[in-house]
Amino acid sequence: MIEAHDLTKRYGDKSAVDHISFTIAPGTVTGFLGPNGAGKSTTMRMIVGLDRPTAGSVTVNGKPYAQHSWPLREVGALLDAKAVHPGRSARSHLRTMAATHGISIKRVDEVIEMTGLAGVAGKRVGGFSLGMGQRLGIASAMLGDPGTLILDEPVNGLDPDGVTWVRHLVRSLAAEGRTVFLSSHLMSEMAQTADQLLVIGRGRILTAGPVQQVIDSVTGTTVRVRSPHATELADLVRAEGVTITSGEAGSLELQGITVEQVGGTAAAHGIVLHELCLQRASLEDAYMNLTRDAVEYRSEPSPALAS
Amino acid sequence: MSTLTLPSTAVAHHAERSHERARWSFPGIIWAECIKLLSLRSTWWFMALAVVLMTLFALGSAMSLDLTAATAESAGMLAVIHGAELISSGYPMGMIMIAVLGSLLITGEYSTGMIRSTFAAVPTRVPVLAAKAIVLVVLTVAVSAVSLAASSAVTFSVLSDLDLLPALTDAQTWQVFGGTTFFLVAAALFALGVGTLLRSTAGAVTVSLTVLLLLPGLLQLIRLDWVQSLIDHLPMPAATAFLATSGALGSNDTLEPWQGVLVVAGYAVVPLVAAALTLRRRDA
Repeated sequence: MIEAHDLTKRYGDKSAVDHISFTIAPGTVTGFLGPNGAGKSTTMRMIVGLDRPTAGSVTVNGKPYAQHSWPLREVGALLDAKAVHPGRSARSHLRTMAATHGISIKRVDEVIEMTGLAGVAGKRVGGFSLGMGQRLGIASAMLGDPGTLILDEPVNGLDPDGVTWVRHLVRSLAAEGRTVFLSSHLMSEMAQTADQLLVIGRGRILTAGPVQQVIDSVTGTTVRVRSPHATELADLVRAEGVTITSGEAGSLELQGITVEQVGGTAAAHGIVLHELCLQRASLEDAYMNLTRDAVEYRSEPSPALAS
Repeated sequence: MSTLTLPSTAVAHHAERSHERARWSFPGIIWAECIKLLSLRSTWWFMALAVVLMTLFALGSAMSLDLTAATAESAGMLAVIHGAELISSGYPMGMIMIAVLGSLLITGEYSTGMIRSTFAAVPTRVPVLAAKAIVLVVLTVAVSAVSLAASSAVTFSVLSDLDLLPALTDAQTWQVFGGTTFFLVAAALFALGVGTLLRSTAGAVTVSLTVLLLLPGLLQLIRLDWVQSLIDHLPMPAATAFLATSGALGSNDTLEPWQGVLVVAGYAVVPLVAAALTLRRRDA
């Protein structure tokens, strides 16, 4: 369980994190979303005591991180997979962390096996590819067998096999009752992995809640109907709060109405339907909608795309 | 790469570790620093280079004294010099290597970002600095001892020809050998403290080597009384107070030997204490 209360981090007069409060519950995977520069990494660093909050507090299992006797057994964090000495071997790197907590060599070898690094454990980390470095970061996070996992972009650089593995790993860890808090920019992956979402923009929480609820609250649902009598159907369902958009010949996109209502109305008036389905917005659409105004670094659209 | 597996034994671990709670972690932290230091090839290179350079330098000074024994200057020196001073005369070489190693011990972690893993494992931070200091002291003593032994061995024949073999029963021998080791340890700790305060490799190495090696020579050119007396309080000149027992290889006119020991100890302790005080306050 991670609890933040009025957490703030200011650099000079710029607030990287601005009075945010949230609770990350155990037994679920919570996705942390936000544009670049929104304050995700700063928040995660404050959770593990690497940065001091300017105001407010954040605790893990009731205590600030620094007050736990064996922090790595409480929280496993992957914040920056490149934060290792390139001259050291993967095994030595894990051994140094294990030594501080009296974690056995057996456990070191276990996490090496688990993350698929057995073949390269003795090689210098400097020669690792992005994906291998990422696996090493996950191995270090899992080293203390912690009850809470904080992962900053864990699938960055992983091949599809690795991405699927991380998804299964975090879901199984959450199923065991652990707290999993991960950030990612890969919306399609996040939609499959996370149960809860926490969206941050410009240092402030934009929204929080179960994934589908967040998506629906931001974008709503669209009913897609295709019928030879589309115009007639449109007139029938036109009402307060219903938005009708005509697509290509014969198709309508309706918002503010349920699939059941459309089907019922069509059946009552004998209108033939060729297609009737509920289109849910993707997490990516919801996210773009939500963070449109909170993006820090916006790239200019290229001339070819704009025209 | 081998296949990926899921942690099937995770629940068992949870139960296991609950009784491993109340153990003091400092020995573990020291062991972690040992692993860090010894798992890098560069450490071994530094140590080897320090020993080799100190030994060669000692051999060089002994042989040059031997070859010029007939000249008036050397004859005067030969009359007063103590054999131990010749054997340990390579210590400035070792000091450079060890100061760089001492700085790198901490600045290497900042430059590679490893410091974040280290502080995530030990969020109270100061024990890490203490452990690094302890490991560095042990390493420096080992390097110093091996160098002195090797220097003694290579200069044995030359010194016996000049009738300058230091007796192990002679207190002066131990003052010089012990003093050399003490100074090298202090230089290492000074570099560690400066490195922790500055956090950058280039900055720490520059400051350490300037204060340890260059400043005495540079300040010599400023012909002001207070500057000249300041020079005597810099690390190497202060060490001369207790190392140059015969006065043949330099002297310190301002400090008594025991004062020299205190000044050198101050260089070791003050930056480290300042570093420890600021360590927790700053962001990693």
